[in-house]
Amino acid sequence: MSRHPAPEELLLDYAAGALAQGPALAVALHVALDPLARRAVERIDALGGAMMEEQGEAALDELALERTLARLDTIAVEPRPAPRTPRPGFEWAPPPLARHIAAEARWRNVLGGFEEIRLRLPGDSHRVSLLRLKPGRGLPMHRHVGAEYTVVLQGGYADSTGNYGVGDFAVGPGPEQHEPIADPGEPCIALIVIERPIVLTGPFGRWLNPLVRRDLI
Amino acid sequence: MLSPDEAAELIEAIAARQDRAAFASLFRHYAPRVKAFIMRGGTDAETAQEVAQEALIMVWRKAASFDRSRASAATWIFTIARNKRIDLLRRTGRPILSTEDWLAVFAPEKDDADTSILAGQTYTRVKELLGSLSADQLVVIQKAFFEDKTHIVIAEELKLPLGTVKSRIRLALGRLRDALEKDEP
Repeated sequence: MSRHPAPEELLLDYAAGALAQGPALAVALHVALDPLARRAVERIDALGGAMMEEQGEAALDELALERTLARLDTIAVEPRPAPRTPRPGFEWAPPPLARHIAAEARWRNVLGGFEEIRLRLPGDSHRVSLLRLKPGRGLPMHRHVGAEYTVVLQGGYADSTGNYGVGDFAVGPGPEQHEPIADPGEPCIALIVIERPIVLTGPFGRWLNPLVRRDLI
Repeated sequence: MLSPDEAAELIEAIAARQDRAAFASLFRHYAPRVKAFIMRGGTDAETAQEVAQEALIMVWRKAASFDRSRASAATWIFTIARNKRIDLLRRTGRPILSTEDWLAVFAPEKDDADTSILAGQTYTRVKELLGSLSADQLVVIQKAFFEDKTHIVIAEELKLPLGTVKSRIRLALGRLRDALEKDEP
């Protein structure tokens, strides 16, 4: 099985804190699920730490330390966080994601035969969704206008670019068009972050695209 | 100066006994570094000072999550400072990733005892590496960390093809990987 890591420049964008919220969430999930990506971000963080340590100081005003110490009177040192108990039905969601799935979130059937949970991220214009595909089912043929980031959270899928399993990361736009098909076994669940609406290129695309553009489907 | 081991001991002292003297020592060393780091991105001194204070308070709160075998103090505090920068400068509602999410990268793993080298040693090697990067590579890495820019924005600013910026980043990060993994099988 080949592994599909996020490109290194995207890991740097992430570690520098420069990504918009949707893409940052996609990379955070990749890092949570892929030990090699985690190791890579650890190394980049170490680079950031060394740069902060070595490259300059700016004095604070004289009372800054005293003011900060005074604030500590009411701020406790927190215990190490306990391992989380996964929410029933959402065992596949790593912590950075689980926190953002609303209590009332339900899978919703979408035209084209897949299910979706939309995530609303404050201050981000990306379309961020969880998609669930039944084994052997595909997404409608589509192409991308802007960037697309996909992280597999459960199961797997294949398209013309390869086979993707849990923790794998895909960056679009890749080939002109692609048609992902879910692997046999359990349903495939993935986080998809899209910069701009996709354009459906199948037979119904002409009628559906206006709805996609208006965010209705 | 504060060695990586001394800095780690100070964070551990906060975790073990809410040690205010240890906090004060960390603050004296790191708050001016966080402030300078934030100011290099073009933030005014007053806001940068606020970020530095908030970051050091987060160091106090999260001290029990620090693990010196996973990250040096500098790396761990950088991670917190970066989150505070996102938090305070963007002000676009609650950030999607919390400090816990950012620090999760340093949480212990069951199966990695043999692949991690001591964070103090990592720190020394990264520092050496920084000194040996080419000017072309360093400018890209600096813009990312200090100016909070994506590689796409950096390419536009430097008027370089995207592929050139990507290959500089990949070369620099490849050297980082080699420097840190040279003892590994």
